[in-house]
Amino acid sequence: MTSLDSDLRGLEDNREVFVAHDQPFEKPAKEFVPGPFFVSIEEAMPDLAEESFAEDSSGEKKLAVDRRDLMRLFGAGALLASAACVRRPVEHAVPYVTQPADAIPGIPTYFASTIDRVGVVVKTREGRPVFIEGNPEHPLSQGSASIPGMSELQALYHPERPTTPRIRFGDRLVDASWEDVHSSLADVLKESKKVGFLIKGTTGSSIQFYKDFLKQIGQSEDGVYLLETNTLFNSMAEAHRLAFGVDGIPRSDLRRSKLLIGVGTDFQDGGIASIFETKSWSAGYTFRNGVKGRFVTFENRMTQTGSKAAERFVIAPGDELGVTLALVEALLAQGGSKGSASDKAHIKAVVDSQKALIDSTKTRLKLDEAISKLASEAVQGGAVLLAGESSASTQNGTLVQVAAIMANVLLGAYESSLLFFSQGWFKNPSRPGDIARFIKDAASIDTLFVVDVNPTFVLPASFGLDAAFKGIKHVVSMNAMPSETDMYASHVLNTHNPLESWGDEELVAGFWSIQQPTVRSITNSHQAQDVMLWVAAKLDKPMGFEDYRAYLRKQWQVLHKASGITKDFDTFFMAIQRKGFYVSQLTKRENATNFADVSAIFKPVAIGEGFKLVAYLDSKLGDGSHSERPVLQEAGDGLTTIAWDTWVAINPLKCRELGIKYNDLIRIKSPAGTIEVSCYPMPGLHFDTIAIPRGNGHKNGMSKISDGVGVDPLTLLEAVTDPLTGDPITAGQIVTIEKVGKRYRLAAMQKHNDIANRKDIMPVQTLSGAVKTMREFKNLDDVPDLYPSLSLKPEDTASGKDKRGSSWLFPMWKASDTYRWGMSIDLDRCNGCGACNVACTLENNIAHVGREQILIGREMTWIRIDRYFSGEVNNPEVAFQPVPCQHCNHAPCEAVCPVFATTHDEEGMNVQTYNRCIGTRYCGNACPYKVRRFNWFTYKWGVMGDRPVDRNPRALNPDVTVRTRGVMEKCTFCVQRIRDAKHNAKQQGRAIVDGEIRTACQTACPSDAITFGNLLDPNSRITRNRRDNRSYLLLNGDASKHEYGLKTLPNVNYLMKVRHDGSQGVAANSSPAGMEHP
Amino acid sequence: MSDEIKWNRTISDVNDGILANLGKPHPSYYIAWGAAIICVLIGAFTWGMEMTVGVGITGKNSPVYWGVLITDFVFWVGIGHAGTLISAILFLFRAKWRNTVNRSAEAMTVFAVITAGLFPLIHMGRFWFGAYWIPPLPNTNNLWANYRSPLAWDVFAISTYLTISLLFWYMGMVPDLASIRDRMKGLRRGIYGILSFGWRGTAKQWHHYEAGYGFLAALATPLVLSVHSIVSWDFAMSIQPGWHTTIFPPYFVAGAILSGCAMVYTLLVPVRTMFRMEEFIRPEHLEACIKLTLLTSTIVFYAYGVEFFVAWYSGNPYEWGIFEKRAIGNYAFYFWVMVFCNCIFPLIWWSKRMRNNMAVSMFVAVLVNVGMWFERYNIIVSSLAEDFLPGSWGHFQPSLSDIALSVGSFGWFMFWFLIFCRYFPIVSMSELKLIMPKPLSKKH
Repeated sequence: MTSLDSDLRGLEDNREVFVAHDQPFEKPAKEFVPGPFFVSIEEAMPDLAEESFAEDSSGEKKLAVDRRDLMRLFGAGALLASAACVRRPVEHAVPYVTQPADAIPGIPTYFASTIDRVGVVVKTREGRPVFIEGNPEHPLSQGSASIPGMSELQALYHPERPTTPRIRFGDRLVDASWEDVHSSLADVLKESKKVGFLIKGTTGSSIQFYKDFLKQIGQSEDGVYLLETNTLFNSMAEAHRLAFGVDGIPRSDLRRSKLLIGVGTDFQDGGIASIFETKSWSAGYTFRNGVKGRFVTFENRMTQTGSKAAERFVIAPGDELGVTLALVEALLAQGGSKGSASDKAHIKAVVDSQKALIDSTKTRLKLDEAISKLASEAVQGGAVLLAGESSASTQNGTLVQVAAIMANVLLGAYESSLLFFSQGWFKNPSRPGDIARFIKDAASIDTLFVVDVNPTFVLPASFGLDAAFKGIKHVVSMNAMPSETDMYASHVLNTHNPLESWGDEELVAGFWSIQQPTVRSITNSHQAQDVMLWVAAKLDKPMGFEDYRAYLRKQWQVLHKASGITKDFDTFFMAIQRKGFYVSQLTKRENATNFADVSAIFKPVAIGEGFKLVAYLDSKLGDGSHSERPVLQEAGDGLTTIAWDTWVAINPLKCRELGIKYNDLIRIKSPAGTIEVSCYPMPGLHFDTIAIPRGNGHKNGMSKISDGVGVDPLTLLEAVTDPLTGDPITAGQIVTIEKVGKRYRLAAMQKHNDIANRKDIMPVQTLSGAVKTMREFKNLDDVPDLYPSLSLKPEDTASGKDKRGSSWLFPMWKASDTYRWGMSIDLDRCNGCGACNVACTLENNIAHVGREQILIGREMTWIRIDRYFSGEVNNPEVAFQPVPCQHCNHAPCEAVCPVFATTHDEEGMNVQTYNRCIGTRYCGNACPYKVRRFNWFTYKWGVMGDRPVDRNPRALNPDVTVRTRGVMEKCTFCVQRIRDAKHNAKQQGRAIVDGEIRTACQTACPSDAITFGNLLDPNSRITRNRRDNRSYLLLNGDASKHEYGLKTLPNVNYLMKVRHDGSQGVAANSSPAGMEHP
Repeated sequence: MSDEIKWNRTISDVNDGILANLGKPHPSYYIAWGAAIICVLIGAFTWGMEMTVGVGITGKNSPVYWGVLITDFVFWVGIGHAGTLISAILFLFRAKWRNTVNRSAEAMTVFAVITAGLFPLIHMGRFWFGAYWIPPLPNTNNLWANYRSPLAWDVFAISTYLTISLLFWYMGMVPDLASIRDRMKGLRRGIYGILSFGWRGTAKQWHHYEAGYGFLAALATPLVLSVHSIVSWDFAMSIQPGWHTTIFPPYFVAGAILSGCAMVYTLLVPVRTMFRMEEFIRPEHLEACIKLTLLTSTIVFYAYGVEFFVAWYSGNPYEWGIFEKRAIGNYAFYFWVMVFCNCIFPLIWWSKRMRNNMAVSMFVAVLVNVGMWFERYNIIVSSLAEDFLPGSWGHFQPSLSDIALSVGSFGWFMFWFLIFCRYFPIVSMSELKLIMPKPLSKKH
C-alpha cells in the first residue's frame, strides 16, 4: 500500500506555496480536523479510494475501516452503480421512507466547491445545502466565504426561480420543454451567420468550452465575450502588460509589508480577491505581537478599507493619477529607492512628462509635505502601494495602475509583497476590450447567448445596449434567476445555480479550484453548458461529451498528465473533488522586471472640474446580480447601515452649504439621465463628490425582492470608457444636484452616529502603549463581590459540596468545571464588513423584515455592528464594534424574566427558551447592550412586509428552531454547533479541542476578528485573548482602575483598537503607556 | 372644614337625592355611555387584530420594547391609588370630606385596576401562555414563575390590590344597597336584596360592619404605598439609566395620588351635575380634593428636581445622558408637557379663588391627567430609546394601534364607571349622613 502523499505531489506542493507561511492565520490547531469534513488527500483511504466514490465527499476520518464503514461503502457503491447512469432530477422532497444507505439523517455531508471565486465548503443535510463557509485549506478563502457566496443558498432556493424554460412567441414567453428548446435553438443556430456568447467573467474552462462549441458548429471563436463589472481586473492586467509585457495580476501579500499605501483602494469591500487580501491585511496591519503595519490611504469616499487606515487623505475622483505620480516622483528623489537604472530612467521619463499634472495636484491638494514624508518612510523598506477599484474606474484607471507599478518597482514591492509570476498571480476573469468589442460586434451578431450575466443592468444604458439587443435576432438568456435581459430574449432558459453546477476556476495561475454540484437540480433547470452540448447534438455536430462534467474531466486530464501523478485520473479527480482545489506545478518565470518605457502611451485624459459622481461596487450587492437575495438587502451597508435602498452620500459640510438634510430627496442630473435619491450625509467624503452604491434599482420583474428597491446610478453615466481597456467609467463623471423638496426616509439601522462622548465604550490604545503592556495580563474575571459575607464559603465550593462555583450572592446556575464558552472580538481587526451578520442570519434562520420594519427599528440581526464616527467631519476616525449577546455571567435579562425563559446554562451561556417565552420583552429592556430581538410578527415564509417572497423553508438550517411570533431571540453562540461538537467529542471519548467549535460569525469574518472557545481551558486562544492587555468588557468599567461599571461580567470580551502614535511597534523604544479615547 | 359647610339639605333628603340616579338619567348619560362603548369596540378590535397579527402593530421596536401600553398600565394603576387613599387613609385619619367622594373614588379604583390589569396582557407577545405560567400553579415539571422578576411581583401586587379594593368598595356599599332594596319592587328588589346580603341595619350588624370596615381600611392602607412601589420596581429594578433609581417608589406613589386625585375631580364634576348631586358633593369637598392634588403635585415637582440633581451629581454619563436628553433632546416635548401639566399649572391652585373656580380647576385637573400620562410615557420611552450604547439607540413613535388601545381603555373604564353611576349609590349615603348636620340640632 503506497502512500498517496508521494504520488499526489502537486497537491502537497501547494501547501508550501500558499498556506505554509508559519501558520499565519488563525486556523484550527493541527491535531484537529474540524467536523466530519471532506478529507484532505493525505487522509483519503488509499485502498478504497479507487472505488467509484466520486460524488460522495462525506469522508470518515478513521483510516481503519470498520464494519459500519465497510457496509456504508458497499451501500454507496451499490447506490452509485445503480444511479450513476441517469441523472434524474428529484422533483419532490420526500421524507426518507427508505433511507439511503450512505445517508444518516441529522449528520451533515460536506462538499468542497468554489463559489464567488472563493473555495467553500457546502454543508448539506439530507441532500440539501444548508450552509456555506470558507474552505479552510483553500488559500483564497482560508476559512471565510464571501458575502455573496454565503448567500448563494437563498438564490438556490429562491421562490422566484423559474421552473421551466420559455420561448418567445410574439410578445409572450411561453413555457416550453427542454426538448423544444434544444430543437428550437438548433434551428436558430442553423440560420445564424454569427453567434456570440456573452458570459460572466471567469477564469475557468467554460471560456474554452464555448470556444469549442463555436468551433464545433462552424463559427468563429471570437464570439466569446467576457463581461466582468469590476474594472480593476482589466486595468491592472492591462497595466502589467504595458509595464512588463506579461499577462497577469500580482497577488498582494500584505503580511510581508510594513507600510501599505492605498490609492482609491477598497480591497476589503471589493477588489481582486477581497477575502484573501483582507486576511493578509489583517495579519499585517492589525496589532499582533507588538507589530502593526501602517496603512495610509488616499481616497475620495469613506470606504471600509479606508476606515481602518492610520492616515487618510481625501482626494477627488480623478486625482488618483496625480497623487500616485507625485509619490513616484518623491520616491525617485529619495536615495534608497529600488529598481534598476533602466527602470528608473523609464519611470523618470513618465514623471517628467507629467510634471504639470503632479505639481498642480500637489498644490491643489496641499499634499507636498505629506507625500515627501510618506516617500521617505516608504523607502525604508517593506512598503507596497495598492491602487484600487475606485481609481480603476476613473478615466485614467489603467494609467493609475501603471503609476502604481512604477511606485511598487521603486519600493521593491515586487520582490516582497506583490507575489508575481514565480509565486502565482491572479488570473484576469475578464479581457481588456471585451465590452467595447461586444458593443461593436453586436450589430453583426445574429444569435447571442447571454450566460449568467445581466448586461442590461450592469452596463450603463448610455452604451446603447437597448438598441444593440433589439438588433440581435435571437437573444438566448441563460440565467438561474430572471433578469432584465430576458425582455430582449427569444429564449429564456433557466440554468443551474452554482450549487448545482459543475465548473472550475483558475483563480490564480496554476491554481485550479473546482465547483461541483452539492444538490441535484431542485427546479427543472439545466446547466448552460449541458444545453449547448444537447444543441450541438441536435445540429448533428456532437461535441462528444455526455455532459459538462465529462468536458471538465477532459480538461482536468491535462492537469493530471502535467502533474506527473502516478495514480490514475479517477483517483486524482476524486481527490480534487474532496479537497476542492489543485495546484499544478507553477510556471517558473522571472519576477517582474524591466519596467518598459510607457511614456508613449502615458497620455492621461484631462479630468474636468465639477461635482463628481462615484458609482461604486460593494461586497454585498455588487453590480446587482445578487439583489434578489433578501439577506444581502437586509444586511445593510457597513458604513451607513442602510438596508433595502440606494442612497447618495454627500459630504455633511456640503449638505450644510446646499441646505440639504439627511433623508432629503436629491435630484441628480447628468447629460445621460436623471435620478432621484435620498441623501445620507457621509463624513469623510470628498467635498465635491457624491457617492452612490450600485446593485439596486432593478425595475423589470427580476425579482419581487429587488424590484423597485433603490435606484440605479448607472442611469447617470455617459458612455465614457477607459481608453486603454474599454471598460465603462463609473467614477468621476460630472453631475449636478438639486433638492427635490421631498423627503424619503432611508432605512438606516443605526440611528445615532457618534459615540456621544462615552469613552469607555470604545477605549483605544496607542501602539506604543499596547507594545509596552503586551506582555502583561489582565484578569477580567477577578471582580470583587459586593456582599462577601453573604456569599458561599470558599470551602463549600472547594470541597465539592456545592458545585455552583460562583461566589455571588445569588448563584443561579451550576457552573460546569469543563467548559465556559467565551468570545473575543478584536476591534483592531473589525472593518465592519457585515459578513458575520450575513453568516449568522443564514446559520440561525434569522428573519428578514424589510425596509418598513427597519425604519421602525425592528431589524432582527443577532450581531449588530455599531459604527461610530469621531473627530473631523471631513476626515473622521471610524470605529466598528460588533455587538452580539454578551452572555453576561451577571445577566440583567435573566433576573427580570417572570417565567425563566432566559436563564444561564452550566457552560456560562445565557440561553433563551423560546417555548417558555411569553413576550413581556422585559429582558430586552434590561439588556444594556440591546442585543435582544423580538418577533413582532410571524415572519412567515412567503410574506415579508408588503413583499410577497421571503426565505424559502428549504433554505433553513434544520438544526435551528424557527421562532414564532411573540418570543424574544438573540445570539446563542451557535449553540447547535457546540452541541454537535460535544456530541462528537463524547462519542470519541475526549474533550472538545480548542478551535473545534467555530461560530458562524467567526468562520465568516474575513479579518479573523472573532475568536471563540473554552474559557476554562488555560491554553485556549480565547483565554489568551481574554487575558490580553487590550481586552476589556463592554460597559464593565476599567478593571485596572478597579472600576466595574455595570458589572454584568460578559463572556464576550473586546480587544481594543490600536492607534498609531508614530512608534514602530516592538522594534522601537516604547513611549510611556497610555490609554486614549476617541 | 366640613363642619363649616352650609348644607342646603338635611339627612332626610339624602336617600332621595342620592338615589335619584336610579331613575331616568339625563340624556347626556346615554351619549357618554354610547361613546364609551364605541371606544371599547375600537380597543377590542385592535386587541383582536394584535392577537392575530402580532404585537408589531403597535409602535414598539428595539430598543423601545415597552411603549404606550405599559404607559397606559402605569397610568391606570396610578389612577386607582387616589381611591384607596381617599377611602382608606383618609378614613383612618377621619377626614370627613372624604365621605362624599369616597364611593365614586373607590369605584374608580376598582375599574382603573381592572383596566390596568388588561394592559400587561395586551402588551405581551403570547399572553395566553403568560396568563398560564406566571400564576404559581403546581406542575409536575416544578417550573415556577421567577420570583426575582418584578413582573412576577406585579402580578401579586395588582391582584391583591384588586381584591382588597373590590372588597372594601363593596363592603362599604352594603348598607346603601339595602336602602335601595327597600325602595325597590319586584325583580330589582330581589337583586338588590341578594347584593345587600340581608342587611337589616341592626346595631349588631353596624357593630360588625364598623369593625370590618376599619380592618379593611387598615389592610388597604399599606397597599396605597406598596402597589405603586412595586409597579415602580418594574423600572427601578432593571439597570436602565433613567429607571434604576431609589427615588422611584415614593415618586411613583406621589405621582399616582396626584393623577388619582385629579381623576377623581375630573370624574366628580360632571357626575355631580349629571346626577344632580350638587347639594351633596359640595364645592368644599371638591376643594379638599384639589388641595390634596396640589400637595402631591408639589411632591412630584420636588421628585423631578431630585431626580435631575441625583443624575447630575452621580457623575454617571449614562444617567445624565438620559436626563439631559429628556430636557433638551428628542423627547423634550413630552418632558415639558409633563413638567407644565404636573407642576406648573397646578400652582394656580394656590389661589383659593381658582381652586373654587370649577371651570379652571376642571381644566387644570384634566391637564394633570395628561401630564401624568406623559410622565410615564417619558420615563418609559426616553429611558429606553437612548441608553448605553449610542449604536443601539432608536426612536419610538406610537402607532395607530397604540392610540386605539389607549382610547379603548378609556372607553372600557368609562363603560363600567357609568354603569356604576346608573345602578349604585354614587355617594355613600350612610357615611354622608355622618357628616351632615344632625336633624335635631339644626332645623330648616
